[in-house]
Amino acid sequence: MRHWTLALLFVPAFALLSCAKENAPAGAVSTAPPAARYEAHLAAGSALPPGATPTNPHAGDAAVAKQGALLFATMNCDGCHGGDAAGWVGPDLADGRWRYGGSDAEVFSSIYYGRPKGMPAFGGVLGTEGVWTLVTYLRSLPAPPDLPTESWVEQSRP
Amino acid sequence: MVRASLTAILKGVAMLGAASGAVGASAAANTDGAWTMPSRDYAATRYSPLGSITAQNARGLHPVWTFSTGVLGGHEGQPLVVGDTMYVVTPWPNVLYAFDLTREGYPLKWKYRPEVSANALGVACCDSVNRGAFYADGKLVYNLLDGHTVAVDASTGRELWKTQIADLGSGETVTMAPLVVRDRVIVGASGGEFGIYGWLKGLDLATGRLVWTVHNLGPDADMGVRAGTFRPVYDTGSDLGARTWPQDSWRRGGAPVWGSISYDAELDLIYYGTGNAGPYNPEERPGDNKWTSSVLARRPVDGALVWAYQFTPHDSWDFDATGAMILADLIIDGHAVKALVHFDKNGFAYTLDRSTGRLLVAKPFAPENWAKSVDLATGRPVVDPTKQTGVSHGNVRGICPSLEGAVSPASPAAYSPRTHLFYTSTNNLCMDYLASHASYLKGTPYIGVTSPYTGGPGGYLGSFIAWDAARGVKVWENREPFPNWSGALVTGGDVVFYGTLDGWFVAADARNGRVLSRFKVGSGVVGNPMSYRAPDGRQYVAVYAGIGGDWALLSGDTRSDDPTDVRAPADFLKDIARHTSQGGIIWIFGL
Repeated sequence: MRHWTLALLFVPAFALLSCAKENAPAGAVSTAPPAARYEAHLAAGSALPPGATPTNPHAGDAAVAKQGALLFATMNCDGCHGGDAAGWVGPDLADGRWRYGGSDAEVFSSIYYGRPKGMPAFGGVLGTEGVWTLVTYLRSLPAPPDLPTESWVEQSRP
Repeated sequence: MVRASLTAILKGVAMLGAASGAVGASAAANTDGAWTMPSRDYAATRYSPLGSITAQNARGLHPVWTFSTGVLGGHEGQPLVVGDTMYVVTPWPNVLYAFDLTREGYPLKWKYRPEVSANALGVACCDSVNRGAFYADGKLVYNLLDGHTVAVDASTGRELWKTQIADLGSGETVTMAPLVVRDRVIVGASGGEFGIYGWLKGLDLATGRLVWTVHNLGPDADMGVRAGTFRPVYDTGSDLGARTWPQDSWRRGGAPVWGSISYDAELDLIYYGTGNAGPYNPEERPGDNKWTSSVLARRPVDGALVWAYQFTPHDSWDFDATGAMILADLIIDGHAVKALVHFDKNGFAYTLDRSTGRLLVAKPFAPENWAKSVDLATGRPVVDPTKQTGVSHGNVRGICPSLEGAVSPASPAAYSPRTHLFYTSTNNLCMDYLASHASYLKGTPYIGVTSPYTGGPGGYLGSFIAWDAARGVKVWENREPFPNWSGALVTGGDVVFYGTLDGWFVAADARNGRVLSRFKVGSGVVGNPMSYRAPDGRQYVAVYAGIGGDWALLSGDTRSDDPTDVRAPADFLKDIARHTSQGGIIWIFGL
């Protein structure tokens, strides 16, 4: 089922505003880029490369998460990741599993810089504030119970 | 010397194929066992004249060979057989395999692995499919998902040229199979969900050089409308592709080309369908939105537009018309007609005069309720106003068919000049359609709809049918528990072949639909069966197994390749993952 949802037109102005406000990810040390690493990375010699770990200024803010849900539609994220971020041509972002790490800083990196296989870098149009807004939305999605099993046993009974 | 003579033979085979297709329904005159172009002939009939496999002996069909392509994307399209070689193009990363049919086990002669951008995977709307290669002049010509056309030497596998035709950054990818007419390679781009400005291009076969570009919408100057050449039956006036849109919204109006192209040598016209209008909320683009959801007839030499007919004016349901345009000579009301037959996503099967574009027959071939009929005098559908979509209409419920189409354009029909019947897969799904405003951001989706599906009337989700296009009548139907997404093949033995989404490959009697044999092929079939005669003199049938295309999106639980992407089953198709999961297998069946 296609779940492409509400898209509003206020965002370009919103994005411009946030671009004008700041160019570097909030919380980043100005001389160091945010870490490209993520939890699941293996590091040779257990030595992770250096890099700042930006913190989400809106972590846990329900109002910002709601704004992020609108942004998710307006910036056409739902066109690839599906309505409610449940997966479409792009991966499910609501299943509690993450290719590139699911912490705020890791999700920030994925959106800001893009990822291989066609995830565009949105940092240029959204700016730091816009990306944090999206991160806040995605992290607000209820963590589903981890159900690795899909079973048809019940329905095969008479 | 040996190579030179082989090339000469191959050329001869290709020319035979071309000649048979060009005369449409008389393809039966060609008894050759080759399959050198995507739809076997220029008329796009997917009819093989081989007659060794018949309704009497098809029970004995069994697999004789399989090969894993090593790729898990949706395996649409079909193998080619040219001389003693079978050629197979995979989904992204678009590997081209050449199998030696003269040796036991069909070992590879070579394989060609192009450099193709992984970014294309995020720009393609609906999985990483490829609809096949075209053989011409000793070359295999095909498209890469990231917007390139390549030509590969058929005997050595060496890349001869590679031309960028499409721009990923603008939302364009390429999934269609090219058509080669004389020295022209004709190609188009996907991207109806990305606000592209749809086009068709002609390249030089020898060098890959771009010769012409024409758009499928926009002003006459862009559309290849030259003075005195463009004569649509139902429309008059200039700049129809721009004046039927508000302001310059045609610049991001879609009209992609992702199906196949057919060709009539006598009329010297190519025919192809265009995809949906964008965005999906039609109220952002009042007007007919020509020439989206249309068939266009052009000159291959320069792309000049000769006629056009719009199946779904002001597309409000994502009704692409990119499905095959099949050319056949039919008797309609006692008159011989050079016909063009098209099964549209919108649920109607259309029979047109392919010389002029005049509509002759338009009847529903599957359950539909968005239009009451199609008016033959005006060429326009009589739309049910309660099924008109748009933001102001809110959630419009119960529209049939769904935007998957009453048939997918990725599932081309076949035509037999022996039975005079057309054969096609169908889908029986309906949808609710909640349109929303869409914002254009270059290189990202431009859509604006929420459209959950439900099963259509009758308690089945798909079927395979035989259709009389002269009368607009369904002759027989085999119902299926799941939407049917494979192409069709019909043969000189009056056997028709198709695959099912849950992974059965079926041979049926072309005259009455009786199932003659079936075999579970390991993954759902979204490809097109084809038939050929091998060097051993026997007839074989080949097909891909590899569920995908829209099903990679709709039925995410058929995927098992990414532990960080785990999805619930689609609520209208809960059981499909019980019967199949991703694959990438070439099957060959024989007696």
